Amino acid sequence: MVIFSYYIFDRHTECIYSKSWVAPPADGSAPPPLSAAPAGGPTSSAAADRRSMNKATDDAKLIFGTVFSLRNMVRKLGGDDDAFISYRTAQYKLHFYETASNLRFVMLTDTSTPSMRNVLHQIYINLWVEYVVKNPLAPIEHKGGVGVKNELFELGLDQFVRGLM
Amino acid sequence: MTVFSLIIINKAGGLVFNKMFHDGLNKISTNDHLVLAGTFHGVHAITTRLNPVNNPGPTPSPATGILTRPEPPSGLEVLESENFRLQCFNTQTGTKFLLFTDTTQANVDVTMRRIYELYSDYVMKNPFYQLEMPIRCDMFDRKLSSYIREINNR
Repeated sequence: MVIFSYYIFDRHTECIYSKSWVAPPADGSAPPPLSAAPAGGPTSSAAADRRSMNKATDDAKLIFGTVFSLRNMVRKLGGDDDAFISYRTAQYKLHFYETASNLRFVMLTDTSTPSMRNVLHQIYINLWVEYVVKNPLAPIEHKGGVGVKNELFELGLDQFVRGLM
Repeated sequence: MTVFSLIIINKAGGLVFNKMFHDGLNKISTNDHLVLAGTFHGVHAITTRLNPVNNPGPTPSPATGILTRPEPPSGLEVLESENFRLQCFNTQTGTKFLLFTDTTQANVDVTMRRIYELYSDYVMKNPFYQLEMPIRCDMFDRKLSSYIREINNR
């Protein structure tokens, strides 16, 4: 089982946390590997960093748009109590879990992975509630990811996911 | 084992065919079907872009040494929800077949292939059918209904 990445979206549709466990895909626009970069590395690597960060935020927006549309589609067809669980393409599988407070958890894995709904639920109750909700210093709204990027949550998530792989 | 409905979307994202075979999904209006088809078309394109897997460029095949390209990333193929399962088949020309079944339905690939055959035989070979336009072919309707009824009664 391979887990590619993990995203949390709040009820204001903002991506408040994202983490990737794989190198970003090398497409046509991707910069060459650092070893092959010409001298004057710092500037080009800074540009590369910025580009990969833009790619990451773009991906988060695309993922939110996708799960939002699919969730609405599923609700329209299956009734209001229906819930969108996952979709699969030939390359990857996306798992979705939404809490009652419209917090949305998304995980991208390889195609052979069985349903990860309980895993996302575990992350919600064991990590999110424990380390973010119960943290007295964390704000109610996580604008720009404030309060989510704390050491315990990140460490716990990383360990949990690496344990699964 | 139940097949709920079939939707066919043309390459531009327009709805060309929809038919309900069994109760189980909410009844939605034709207008909502059109919106659904358009939305799905867009989402399908996005899911192709979201591919997190590193795609290697052309690689020489081990047997012949000729450069071969890996399969291009595909879009959404199967969607699962609590109440139904949606199988999407994207043809070479970009026509999409969406088949809504219950969550335990097996061998949807076979059903899909058979539906595609019926489409090729009774829609594409119909001299009066205009490409990319809504499908109004009696033979296709009849054959499809009897085939799906056979599956639903199994």
